[in-house]
Amino acid sequence: MPEFKIQHVTRYTYDGAVRDSANQIILFPIVDIYQDVQKHDLHITGNPIVDTHVDYYGNEVGSFTYSVPHNQMIINSQLVVNTHHRPLPVDDIFPAQQWDNLAQLQYTVPYIDFLKHEYFDGLRELQVVVDAEKKEGDTPYQIALNFCQYVYKNFEYIKGVTTVESQLDEIWKLKAGVCQDFAHMLTEMLRLVNIPARYVSGYICPNQSGMRGEGATHAWAEAYIPNYGWLGLDPTNNCIANETHVRLAVGRNFLDCSPVKGVYKGSSGHHLQVAVSVGYQDHEPEPAIDQFVDRVTKPGPFAGNGNDASKNSYQRYMEMIQQQQQQQQ
Amino acid sequence: MYKAAHFDGYHSIPGVWDEMYLQSSDIRAHYQKVIDYLSQESPDELGKKEELAQRLFMKQGITFTVYNSGEGIEKIFPFDIIPRIITGSEWDFVEKGIKQRLTALNLFLKDIYHNQFIIKDGIIPIDAIYSCPHFTREMYQVDVPYDIYVHIAGIDLIRDEEGTFYVLEDNLRTPSGVSYMLENREITKRLFPDLLPNCGVRSVTEYPNILYKNLQSLSPRRISNPTIVLLSPGIYNSAYFEHTTLARLMGVELVEGRDLVVNNQKVYMKTTTGLQQVDVIYRRVDDEYLDPLVFNPNSILGVAGIMGAYRKGNVAIVNAIGNGVADDKAIYIYVPDMIKYYLNEEPILKNVPTYRLNNPDEQKYVFDNINKMVVKKTNGSGGYGMLMGHAASQEEIDEYKLEILKQPRDFIAQPTISLSAAPCYIQGALRPRRIDLRPYALCGPDGIEIVPGGLTRVALKEGSLVVNSSQGGGSKDTWVLA
Repeated sequence: MPEFKIQHVTRYTYDGAVRDSANQIILFPIVDIYQDVQKHDLHITGNPIVDTHVDYYGNEVGSFTYSVPHNQMIINSQLVVNTHHRPLPVDDIFPAQQWDNLAQLQYTVPYIDFLKHEYFDGLRELQVVVDAEKKEGDTPYQIALNFCQYVYKNFEYIKGVTTVESQLDEIWKLKAGVCQDFAHMLTEMLRLVNIPARYVSGYICPNQSGMRGEGATHAWAEAYIPNYGWLGLDPTNNCIANETHVRLAVGRNFLDCSPVKGVYKGSSGHHLQVAVSVGYQDHEPEPAIDQFVDRVTKPGPFAGNGNDASKNSYQRYMEMIQQQQQQQQ
Repeated sequence: MYKAAHFDGYHSIPGVWDEMYLQSSDIRAHYQKVIDYLSQESPDELGKKEELAQRLFMKQGITFTVYNSGEGIEKIFPFDIIPRIITGSEWDFVEKGIKQRLTALNLFLKDIYHNQFIIKDGIIPIDAIYSCPHFTREMYQVDVPYDIYVHIAGIDLIRDEEGTFYVLEDNLRTPSGVSYMLENREITKRLFPDLLPNCGVRSVTEYPNILYKNLQSLSPRRISNPTIVLLSPGIYNSAYFEHTTLARLMGVELVEGRDLVVNNQKVYMKTTTGLQQVDVIYRRVDDEYLDPLVFNPNSILGVAGIMGAYRKGNVAIVNAIGNGVADDKAIYIYVPDMIKYYLNEEPILKNVPTYRLNNPDEQKYVFDNINKMVVKKTNGSGGYGMLMGHAASQEEIDEYKLEILKQPRDFIAQPTISLSAAPCYIQGALRPRRIDLRPYALCGPDGIEIVPGGLTRVALKEGSLVVNSSQGGGSKDTWVLA
């Protein structure tokens, strides 16, 4: 029964004072028989009241506002989490029966949402790969493992080549990315063969260092295996996500699980630091290292008085007109 | 029969229901008084009235905006001086039908965002709901005051060659046009002051009062004077005139997103004397732009965090968020089934037969008969992006088919219905033109109220079947007789 001490710090530093910031955090670990939270301290600049609710996918979501002018905002989430090893699928049911089982789920809630694949330019090529990897007589479990390995072997783990907004097209062309892109690709492949697949955000907490995805929020996928349930698959490390993976949220894609996002009014110039560190048993977490900032949803400056650096005043004005022209019924 | 010259040459269109004439070219009884009056007027006099109407519209700035390549062009909404008349019994039927339909649609929205019984019982295929871009997962398990989702509905009705009313579409998100209903009546009062009481025309002026009463009743704070605002996208919106009119008639603040701020799950309006908590928002901003934190992050028009305040029940939003799943044109097909399912009643108002283009058989049928079809986008409005099969060139049809094949779920087709016609005063003479009818229903804690009237839109171009103002349509005052 591993116990992890996780510290996740998000720090926004703005060029000038900003105000009226509205934020949403999905930083509350899922609680079930394989994972429980001993302690959760959440410190946010200004001590705002964090209102929580459970979203459509069952995730706990916090929201808070911070309206007074401020130059910096720090969200410091400190967790003590216990995880438990989950036995792997036995996989002793005839493949045909398992596929039949999945086919029956196709048009039911919640699976319908996790089966809708995205359209992208490389879909045809990916379909060829998927058909080749899917051997006659394989069970969904075997195929899920195959696909996980395929992503691990055929995509290079390179930080900084993709961003939080990268779509499948880009990842497919680059054949590279980070955990979020790997998870995205794997969910797409699983959905193409009718295995329901979810996107998972969380932390990876290996007992020895060297695993990819440390020092940041991690992402992987879950495949729905008949008679078992959701099986965690980490294509970044080619392993089954088990007691070393702490789950924060599940959803259709990254957007459903985005750990921290916010909108504020004021200058767009800002600096963002994100760090995740993990301590084991009695060891305190190492001091946090600043990396992976490109994997975080950038806070958006908002409304006419914001200065979106990528657009000049005229362009922002034209965009406002464009948005105002939404069709009334 | 009538001496006045403007009656000469009025020939009702063969095979089309004429609101004024019976087939034998006799006048329908409910038009008698108006016709008597008009036949005593000289064409000169009528011409003057038409001119006066135009001047009044211009002077009062009663306009709408046509969107064209990104630039808004503000235009006067063309107004025809001859009223469209509906008998008391016709109205009773329409009123009952809309009330029934709206009751079912509200129950549907509550159900779809909570237990989803209607999916579980197989009445509506799950795919139709979950593939709808307006099915808003953020609304799942969110409770709204009195379980009312559709506070304001504009239900578009048409009549076929038999005079039977059909629902063409439901508008349950931000239905517009009610200000034209009110203004058209005001203008008619000036043009024909005696005629309205003589004919026993029922009043529509109660509309803003009923809406205000309903908005007030939704206030989460039980205070005597809740703060109600009308949230507009801004001056470039096609319906901005309407936003200002309704705010003025109700005596509520007209605001834009930048005037509001959310703090601790409550919405505040910035005033010269500081922040003032807002209780009820009548918004004319689409869901997508309402909250940049939860929906479109690029929205400049919304209020960040407003969804949180709404979820907590600290502010009421009218119409509710997520209503688009109920007025999607692919869901429209199932409204008669909803009525049977939730109310155990037979639908009073009929639907127009509708084909789904993501169904292979129906798609084939539509493509084979495209000359007799109208193809529409499932989430479109305003007559934009529509194909009128009978009037389109082969090239246009081929192009449109390609569009359909890309995203068949986004399209439906309906047989071209021959809309009914009513007399219009065009260049000194009465001429039949095609019309529809959009009554406005208001749903509050006390039930559904529909002011007797609505917006009659007219396809002013000869032979045209498209009444949308954005496509060159105009409007008429709509009289419901006592």
